[in-house]
Amino acid sequence: MKLKEVVELLGADLAFGTDSQLAEEVQTAAASDLMSDILARVDVPELLLTRLNNSQVMRTSAVFGIKAVVIVRGRAVDEKMIEIAQEEEIVLLTTPASLFESCGKLYAQGLRSAQPSTDSSRS
Amino acid sequence: MEPRYGKTQELLYELKIEQVMRTDVVTIASDATMSELREILREHSISGVPVVDGDELVGLASIEDLIRWLSSREPDCAVHEQMTRDPECLHADQPLVHALRRFDESGFGRFPIVERASGRMVGILTKGGIIEGVLRKLEREFKEEEIRAYRVSHIFEDLLADYKEIYLTYNVPGKDFDRAGSASTRMKRNLKRLGIRPDIIHRLAIASYEAEMNVVIYTDGGTMEYRISPHEVILRVRDRGPGISDVEEALRPGWSTAEPWVRDLGFGAGMGLPNIKKCADKLEIDSHPGRGTTLKMRIFTGEADEAQ
Ligand SMILES: Nc1ncnc2c1ncn2[C@@H]1O[C@H](COP(=O)(O)OP(=O)(O)OP(=O)(O)O)[C@@H](O)[C@H]1O
Ligand SMILES: [Mg+2]
Repeated sequence: MKLKEVVELLGADLAFGTDSQLAEEVQTAAASDLMSDILARVDVPELLLTRLNNSQVMRTSAVFGIKAVVIVRGRAVDEKMIEIAQEEEIVLLTTPASLFESCGKLYAQGLRSAQPSTDSSRS
Repeated sequence: MEPRYGKTQELLYELKIEQVMRTDVVTIASDATMSELREILREHSISGVPVVDGDELVGLASIEDLIRWLSSREPDCAVHEQMTRDPECLHADQPLVHALRRFDESGFGRFPIVERASGRMVGILTKGGIIEGVLRKLEREFKEEEIRAYRVSHIFEDLLADYKEIYLTYNVPGKDFDRAGSASTRMKRNLKRLGIRPDIIHRLAIASYEAEMNVVIYTDGGTMEYRISPHEVILRVRDRGPGISDVEEALRPGWSTAEPWVRDLGFGAGMGLPNIKKCADKLEIDSHPGRGTTLKMRIFTGEADEAQ
């Protein structure tokens, strides 16, 4: 689904995102509050859902190449997060919905998880 | 919260009217006739002209005025009888976004542009002019970025030497969580410009960021040094922190000494070092309790992956 449909589906506030970014399709998502857990994944999810609202969420997303970040439970985003979102061209949303609810809605619309981490190291 | 906009909107704020207005303004004298107006509009394929009395701007005559006059079937008359008087003007030094707002609010097709100090007309702005101006500027910026990427990706080919290396260093302040990770994200951008393969940049960025975060979290600061040569990138991360007492243990997934405040930030899963090991082709950790830690990682960038 398109990112702008994600915004509507989750009743989200747009903290940062350009029209062309919002017109982009996303198919994979991940939910996590652990940065290293995200970075240990094999596949890069296009969407990240998290309860954390700090600069590190944005930096981690920039490092990993995540397109859009959804902060759940209506937690506020600060100026620094928006600044990084802008700099790194990452869409940033906040939704009043819980993590569980947000994931459920997105799953029901066809979004699937990116392949999670595996224990086998690169050889 | 106010939504933030992207590049195009930014341009509208950045660009001044004078950067996109037409300065070769076609005008008509106020005592010229309506049929002369028709000729001028046709000749220049424009839809309106400022009406002047000598040097002074007195009105705007547009294609709408012309149509109104034509359909009234009145005899030919002077332009000043049919024109719009005292037209609204904009200042040359105003941001483009202001002009766009005025176009929207007023429904006008064009604004004469005057110099703020003198009040002298210096140009004319139409909606089409705005589009052209923005496109021109976008194209220029795009080309600049492309040229830059092209240049750097050829640096190694263009420089003649027996040994070539790019050396970049970053200071990593301890416990500064606003800046934490910015060395790695800046470096990621550099690596893109250098034309390094995306999958290799991905591994480098992850390893670099995990190491940077450890320095920020567990020490009072350190440095990151990148040595980029044609076939590999070597990254040294040094700190003068407490050191790691048992490196082997620290490399085990899940092993962490992170305090609750670290976990609250989303770190402390004990996955950082194992992740670095997975991403780097070679990893050496040199740590002395009380004196600090140095991580040295190598990632091969050559076409044939030398690590295999
Ligand atoms: N530069 C360092 N200086 C001192 N101790 C360190 C340093 N880097 C890592 N450590 C120690 O090694 C442990 C494991 O580090 P690692 O990066 O693997 O996990 P973590 O930082 O605890 O959690 P995560 O990286 O998953 O957020 C840390 O908890 C810390 O005790
Ligand atoms: Mg760590």
